[in-house]
Amino acid sequence: MTSGPRLFSILRQGSILIASIHTALDDSQLERFREDLIDRIGRDRAKGVIIDVAALDVVDSFATRTLRGIAEMARLRGAQTVVVGIQPDVAFVIVQLGMDTGSLVTALDLEEGLTHLAATAGASIGPAR
Amino acid sequence: MAAAGRADSSRDRPSPAEITALIPLVRRIVASRVPDRATADDLVQETLTRVLAASGRVEPGMLEPYAIVTARNVVASLWRDQDRQRRNQHRVVDLRPPEAPDEDVLVQEDRQAVAEALTRLTDRERATLLAHEVSGQDTRSLAAELGSTAGAVAAQLNRTRARLRVEYLLAVERTEPPTDRCRPVLLAISGGDRRRQREVDAARHLLECDLCARLSEPLMGRGRAREADVRVPVQSDADVVAARSAAREVASGVGFPPTDLTAIATAVSEVTRNIVKFADAGEVVIEVLEEPRRGIRIVARDVGPGIPDVDRALRDGYSTYDGLGLGLPGARRLMDEFAIVSEVGRGTTVTMTKWVGER
Repeated sequence: MTSGPRLFSILRQGSILIASIHTALDDSQLERFREDLIDRIGRDRAKGVIIDVAALDVVDSFATRTLRGIAEMARLRGAQTVVVGIQPDVAFVIVQLGMDTGSLVTALDLEEGLTHLAATAGASIGPAR
Repeated sequence: MAAAGRADSSRDRPSPAEITALIPLVRRIVASRVPDRATADDLVQETLTRVLAASGRVEPGMLEPYAIVTARNVVASLWRDQDRQRRNQHRVVDLRPPEAPDEDVLVQEDRQAVAEALTRLTDRERATLLAHEVSGQDTRSLAAELGSTAGAVAAQLNRTRARLRVEYLLAVERTEPPTDRCRPVLLAISGGDRRRQREVDAARHLLECDLCARLSEPLMGRGRAREADVRVPVQSDADVVAARSAAREVASGVGFPPTDLTAIATAVSEVTRNIVKFADAGEVVIEVLEEPRRGIRIVARDVGPGIPDVDRALRDGYSTYDGLGLGLPGARRLMDEFAIVSEVGRGTTVTMTKWVGER
């Protein structure tokens, strides 16, 4: 793996993992992100996952597919995923591309995402017991 | 015993044995200060010589301390010399490039190559070129002689020079181009004629032909500056990101609104990914268009296996690898114009265009 600034970070807040992508990722970096995140869900016994994609200026077919894959894998591992921070231009392009994003749960921003997880997954942002 | 006897005979001079006995000591002192072994050996020799020379003046029993001090002094003067050299080094630097031994030969080869290249021109081309370049005849008088116009003569001279550059490079390399396509491609590149380059599909040929790829480097260097094309070689995942950010940057210079920038970057991402997935190597060329309107054209070409059924590849849901099958049709929806040419076994070229202010 190349050194340099971190491309993404995965932070824990109570039983929720907050995964932020910091910069444009290429395909293998996205795959690494997916692996790291799924791994962390198991280790941290997370109930909810928030993926912040606000820094992505391009969400193409591969990125959409990877996000859907993460959500599905997380669901199988017992966690609910919310994607937050999709930029308006990016949303426009995803629709034009014709991507099926029906299975992805999304929220406008981190706050909305946390609210959603608290309501549906019973995930708390307090310290784990 | 013999040594002791000799020492007795000349009391004031130390015997060679006594000097020899100093060697390990001197060597230890010098070695601890000078890491380089060859230099250290030199300094040990130097010290012993000095001790030997001074031995007559040294009081008996004081030889060892004398050797120690001498060794230290020798090392110190080495350091001083080195320091002085370092400080003055810039004064002795000769900035004139050294005359390489092979320079003469190279000049001669060069001359031969030019002569060789000249013989490959037609008689008329050569005569006109030499009259203009060597005799200094201007285009107007040349035109009068040839029954042509000054502009036409200038254009012809340009073509001849382009030709000469190509033939010169071939003569220097002492090769003949491997295919019939090489010469027209090299000529189009040398002349900087973009329409002609497109006609002969120069870019694709350069991907396929090693010789032309190499020869085209010096030829392209000439015309590159005035052309705004951005080329991104594509081989790995990271190049996909590089290609799409390059496209976004060029497009933002053209004046596209932000949503279009995202659309262009995404389309580039899709077509570039296909190069990485299916072909060994390829490139993305981003070109700014002024006619008939401002816009951007992106050409993604590869030397890969090609797509057997292009129509099917453009249908949603078609995919040969683990994807959504939306690469090509998605990119087509994002751009205004989209063309794909693929030849099985040779490669694929996707050309897509977006105009400022469409839709």
